[in-house]
Amino acid sequence: MIQTFRRLFLTILFLSAGTPNLFAADDAETESESPIDIMGTVADHDYFKVPQFINGGKIYLPRIIYWADEEGNAQLSTFSSTKKAIDSGFFEDVDHALVPTNGVIKVDLSITSHLIYFWFGLGAVALFTMFAGGRYKKGVGKDVEPKGALQNLFEVFFIFIRDDVARPNIDDKKADKYVPYLFTIFMALAFMNTFGLLPWAATATADITVTAVLALFTFVITQFSGTKDHWAHVFWFPGVPLGVKFLMIPVELIGLLTKPFALAIRLFANMMSGKIMIIAILGLIFIFNDMYGTAAAYGVSVFSVSMTAVLYILKLFVSLLQAYIFTLLSAVFIGMAAESHDHDEEHYHAEHAA
Amino acid sequence: MGLLAAGIGAGIVAIGAGIGIGMIGKAATESIARQPEASGDIRGAMILTAAFIEGVALFGAIICIILALQG
Repeated sequence: MIQTFRRLFLTILFLSAGTPNLFAADDAETESESPIDIMGTVADHDYFKVPQFINGGKIYLPRIIYWADEEGNAQLSTFSSTKKAIDSGFFEDVDHALVPTNGVIKVDLSITSHLIYFWFGLGAVALFTMFAGGRYKKGVGKDVEPKGALQNLFEVFFIFIRDDVARPNIDDKKADKYVPYLFTIFMALAFMNTFGLLPWAATATADITVTAVLALFTFVITQFSGTKDHWAHVFWFPGVPLGVKFLMIPVELIGLLTKPFALAIRLFANMMSGKIMIIAILGLIFIFNDMYGTAAAYGVSVFSVSMTAVLYILKLFVSLLQAYIFTLLSAVFIGMAAESHDHDEEHYHAEHAA
Repeated sequence: MGLLAAGIGAGIVAIGAGIGIGMIGKAATESIARQPEASGDIRGAMILTAAFIEGVALFGAIICIILALQG
């Protein structure tokens, strides 16, 4: 059974490797002189990439735009694709961006490929947890042992997040309250990162907006779970002279903001760099083809393809590692804010009394 | 100029991050060798510290990318 699946998976992988993944001809029509367009491949698109034989490889996504015309009348316009929007006459194409012919865009709510994969990730988590929840409600896993590979997998991940991430980093009494959030964000990131490795798929987390939103969740939860001690550390740093207390306020405020910023940048840069690396190494084939002819391209493809295979394995590891690091750091930040410093204060007073 | 700065900057970022993560790795392997029963805790702390260093390095890398794209 598993053997059959493995063989099927390998066949699909080989088949998909046969179709051009870079759409080099499509994107090269732009003014760039390079035969491959690295940034165009990692950027967000207004279409959903599918195998070449369906609709020419692209399924266009709806555009939802809240815009105002010259008189200042704001309105919400929806079109089934970018082309329809241009055909309607209200919008035109300027450097691959949709702008109104007269007026300004206020909010662009268009559905893009990264957003679709973001939803896929969240949907996968919802299905996975709902499946496991149904099992536990029936008593499987509670009264008897968990059944099947999927439920065992769920339990492995859940126990890992609870015992190795939440409990060591957050106060014992409060830790369990944050396990659902940490588990959700871990699974969502793991799904989104690994979805990016599938053929034709896009990595939602290689987009700064996606990671920034996730980091914002952590930031908000951290601030709302902050104890009196947390805010005392921010606005009235204990144990330092009066002048230094005022000096510490801006430092601590910046410190609050850099934490989620670093979270977002770390995940984004890791996923982005992996993607760029793979495209650049595969792109060597096209560049050699342009510069030194077909024979050199065949020669370099041996190196490129084997290198890409190794990089893919590394990326699979990095995907899960980054999901873990994001979750771990979220837990650490929440733990730092939710901690009460009873022992430290006593220690401090004891020291001063002596 | 922007491209040159980006290239040099990326190199310096790699040096800094390499030294930092190398020192973490050295300390972690040494402490695991001294006290193998604490390897789980040490590994957790190692990943956490490495992630912080990596974060700083990536700030530099992002600035290099911005420079390169402008230059």
